[in-house]
Amino acid sequence: MKKSDVILIITILIISSLIMLIWFKKKEGNKAIVYYDSKAILQLDLKQNGIYEVEGAKGKVKIEVNSHGVRVVAENSPYHICSRQGYIKKSYETIVCLPNKIVIKIANEEIDTVVR
Amino acid sequence: MLRFLKKYINYLLLLIIIILITYLLINRQKQQEFSRDLYYMDTYINVRIFSKNKEKAQTALNEIENIYKEYHMLSDKYNNYKDIINIYYINTNYDKDKYLKIDTKLYDLINYGLDFYDKSNGLLNINMGSITDIWKKYRDKGTSLPTKEELQKQNTDIKKIILKDGQILNNRPNIDLGAISKGYTTKIVGEYLNSIGLDKYIINAGGNVLVGKHYNKGKYRIGIQSPNKDDGLIDVINAENISVVTSGSYERFYEIDGKIYSHIIDPTTLYPSAYMKSVTVITKDSALADALSTTLFLMDIDKGLKFLENYEAEAIWYTNDNQIITSKGIDKYEEK
Repeated sequence: MKKSDVILIITILIISSLIMLIWFKKKEGNKAIVYYDSKAILQLDLKQNGIYEVEGAKGKVKIEVNSHGVRVVAENSPYHICSRQGYIKKSYETIVCLPNKIVIKIANEEIDTVVR
Repeated sequence: MLRFLKKYINYLLLLIIIILITYLLINRQKQQEFSRDLYYMDTYINVRIFSKNKEKAQTALNEIENIYKEYHMLSDKYNNYKDIINIYYINTNYDKDKYLKIDTKLYDLINYGLDFYDKSNGLLNINMGSITDIWKKYRDKGTSLPTKEELQKQNTDIKKIILKDGQILNNRPNIDLGAISKGYTTKIVGEYLNSIGLDKYIINAGGNVLVGKHYNKGKYRIGIQSPNKDDGLIDVINAENISVVTSGSYERFYEIDGKIYSHIIDPTTLYPSAYMKSVTVITKDSALADALSTTLFLMDIDKGLKFLENYEAEAIWYTNDNQIITSKGIDKYEEK
């Protein structure tokens, strides 16, 4: 076996494993996903504190992430139900901003859905 | 360069073929989740379909949106829609016609409600619209209770609703289908999905859950939220092809002088029912689950346990002093 053959085989192996890595990359936990009108528009890393703004149906929706979890801090709606709801953190919790068509869900593998 | 290519062309081709085959294999086998959020019947509805066929799933989601939208408009008691005879129209119509011709879908839905009035010995009453309106008005303000006189002068007699040959008697009843419309429509949606072969799905319509076959080989895990908001789950149901419906949500009640008033009104007292904090029903048929959960919420737990024996259904009660009581067969849904 020539030296160049070895190099080529190693190159092929590296390229294939990189491709596999990208395809099979597992979804991490501790994430919140923000949806607008059924479309995922933002992913939030719950370990990373921060303030985010997304565009809802009735204007900007401001979302905060810190050690307590995720919450909506400001939005424009008649009853402000979703900003009054407070933090969500556990893997099945959801914030629904109905007038703004914004839904925030904690990504989960454990529970498929929750009746409330 | 040319020499290099000639030398390695076989290797390169092999590499490309390996990548292509892997790509095709992965993509062909991959079942995806298609999800949509809907806002009808005063609630947030989430539909998830698991399928390999993207186009079919998207078409189905559009059709499901149409189904919820249509039943929403038909059962809406607050709004008028062009060219639709709906509950608002029926409740407020002054025309002289003796009978109104109504859509078969609405006819069947009202009929389901009338049928369950008998089955529940009058506890599930769909002619309570004026009463639920009064309570909603006070609940929105959240500062006081309606008076007995105000409630008692409303007509809640179920005999005001008379169906005949696709028509309804035009005598201005007070129909409110809130106790059955979500579960009933969700059942229709489930039947539609099964009929086109998309039988792996999770539908969550605000307290009404219906799941089809599991997307993998396991069972769905359906959490039941405690009525005390911060307590997390009180139980987890493991099942396929099942509906789980909770009545007595923490989201729709109000508090006067330390007493909790729920949004489910007892037709015998005209006051909100207070036998328990919540009740969850587990059964295959989501229309039945919805109707049963309301009915059980209007009975004390002993009566409820007895009433439930008439059905192939299980229930979980959450009492006012935070105890959990379950019907006998519930263990078949619990994790082993």
